[in-house]
Amino acid sequence: MKIIIDDKEYACREGQKVLDVARAHDVDIPTLCFNPLNEAMRPAGCRLCLVEVLDGGRPGLQSSCSLPVSDGLKVSTKSRAVYDERREVTELLLSEHEQDCRNCPISGECAFSELCRDYDINGVSVCAECPNRKEGCLLSRGVLCIGPITYANCDAFCTRRGYPCEGCHSVMVNEDLLRFGLAAFAKADFHKEEILEAARIFSYEGVKVLDKVMKQEGFK
Amino acid sequence: MKEVNIHVEHLTRVEGHGNIILNARNGKVEKVMWEVSEAPRLFEAFVRGKPYHQLARITSRICGICSIGHTLASLKATEAAMGIEISAQSQLLRRLAIHGENMQSHILHLGYLVSPDLFGVGSVIPLVKTHPDAVLSIVKLHRVANEYSDAICGRTTHPTNLVPGGLHKSPSPVKLRKCREMLLDSVDTANAVAELLLDNAGALPDFSRETEFIALTSEEEYALYDGLIGSTDAGTYPAEAYESVVNEFVVPHSTAKYCKNKRESFMVGALARFNLNHKHLSPMAAKWAERFGLKAVCHNPFMNNVAQLVEFVHSIEDSIAIIDRLLEDYKDEPRPRITPKAGRGIGIVDVPRGILFHDYTYDENGICVKANCVIPTNQNHNNIQHDFEAFAPTLLGRPEKEIELNLEMLVRAYDPCISCSTHFLKVEWKR
Repeated sequence: MKIIIDDKEYACREGQKVLDVARAHDVDIPTLCFNPLNEAMRPAGCRLCLVEVLDGGRPGLQSSCSLPVSDGLKVSTKSRAVYDERREVTELLLSEHEQDCRNCPISGECAFSELCRDYDINGVSVCAECPNRKEGCLLSRGVLCIGPITYANCDAFCTRRGYPCEGCHSVMVNEDLLRFGLAAFAKADFHKEEILEAARIFSYEGVKVLDKVMKQEGFK
Repeated sequence: MKEVNIHVEHLTRVEGHGNIILNARNGKVEKVMWEVSEAPRLFEAFVRGKPYHQLARITSRICGICSIGHTLASLKATEAAMGIEISAQSQLLRRLAIHGENMQSHILHLGYLVSPDLFGVGSVIPLVKTHPDAVLSIVKLHRVANEYSDAICGRTTHPTNLVPGGLHKSPSPVKLRKCREMLLDSVDTANAVAELLLDNAGALPDFSRETEFIALTSEEEYALYDGLIGSTDAGTYPAEAYESVVNEFVVPHSTAKYCKNKRESFMVGALARFNLNHKHLSPMAAKWAERFGLKAVCHNPFMNNVAQLVEFVHSIEDSIAIIDRLLEDYKDEPRPRITPKAGRGIGIVDVPRGILFHDYTYDENGICVKANCVIPTNQNHNNIQHDFEAFAPTLLGRPEKEIELNLEMLVRAYDPCISCSTHFLKVEWKR
């Protein structure tokens, strides 16, 4: 029996699921609820292993961990529909997540944070976690705080205690988020170079993007 | 006699990566070596071109254990370079900060890393079953130390509250009183842990090799935050002379530099501080030193563990005394304003693992143009090597596992922070 994944043929046996065949041949399909140590345990709950059935079965998106193989079944793991759906699922999972871990600087082994990166789900700035964002913002008091342009997930530890953010989790690399964050500096009286110098303490990539966005925005 | 070949690659229960090599044949040691294999850290290059107020933030990251010490040494260097005076109250608060870190680091080392050797087990995990009360007491003391550091420094590690010229914000008197209460409450626990370690101190090998001890020393106090560079061999030196005291040099088998002064090597750390400053110990700490048989000048490197315990008790007692002094006349001091100035400054602090030097040069805009940091573990590597050479031959008659354990315990006694000690080395290729 043979199935086709992403235009390539793979041999398989009766009773296998599409995910098993993909895993056996190193075809990348993300999963969170599937437990490789316990093959029987596949609640098909995380919806991340979705593939698009193109031929030989009911057309549309189906979870590959529960989709049985049948001769001639043709699926795609990379179609636009698959990408969009997985991205949405990841975002929905994140909205339920206890802590915003998207910006974790240490992890690289966490499947979930990897998913967020793969599907380009961006982080939030320190302001989102800062209790002073409405009243008593350090910037409005003339203190140079780079919280608006740096990644959070510290629960705004420093700004919460009246100490300006120094960006341990680095300056954001997403242009839209930086543009949004830079608006916070519009009312504060800081020179472009001052902001860049403060941003440089723990960041490199982000500072390059920041510099570019500042130029576009005509920051002085 | 049979051959002994020991190669411990990446010794456990220390911070960072180091290896032990021992080859012996016919009762003779052919090679015994302490290798440092940690990658270079490059911090002295990172800080070049950075403004003065960022330096302590960056160099604090040299270490996650001694971050308070690095911050203080860095601030002292910056303040010395720019001629900044700090208030008496800030000086006392900074002394509290260093006590907090000393407590954090010593209890971590003694409780989690050394005690398994004393109880003859592989890690702290089995102790949870056999000695649950002791482990809980250790965790409690660690927590007190963390909360105390947090209250003074703004964070448990990588402090935000310590800035050039003093403190960002003085901790409130309520916070200080809370710390005092917490410290007072921990005295009994500390005594109980000390009692337990005393019962098991017999596991520490009896080995002595005469060496030089170097630490901060002062006429007035058990020097941690301030003082002169002191040596058991050569009296005192001013801060400016530090380069001629540490005499850093490079060896091929180590990414960390080695040091020596009057002899082939010297030791820094709690034992060095005890040997030089024991007169100024608090009463309870002095009592514990006596009960453990710790007398100056002690040349047994394994007694560094005991000296750490003695210092832990001293830090509790001295902290309480300092808080009492502070509360007599406590002010909410504003954050200091600083005008940068060109100059060179050296900052010295005695941190948990020994004497730490930061040396910065600034230009007239307060931008760092040159930096040098000499980390305590650097200064100890050479002494560890010489201890190995003296200690290994005395062990040869024993089973290989036991020799290995003894050598590991020796390194651990120094409480090395290996990753902090590495620097960039210029590699010369020979083809």
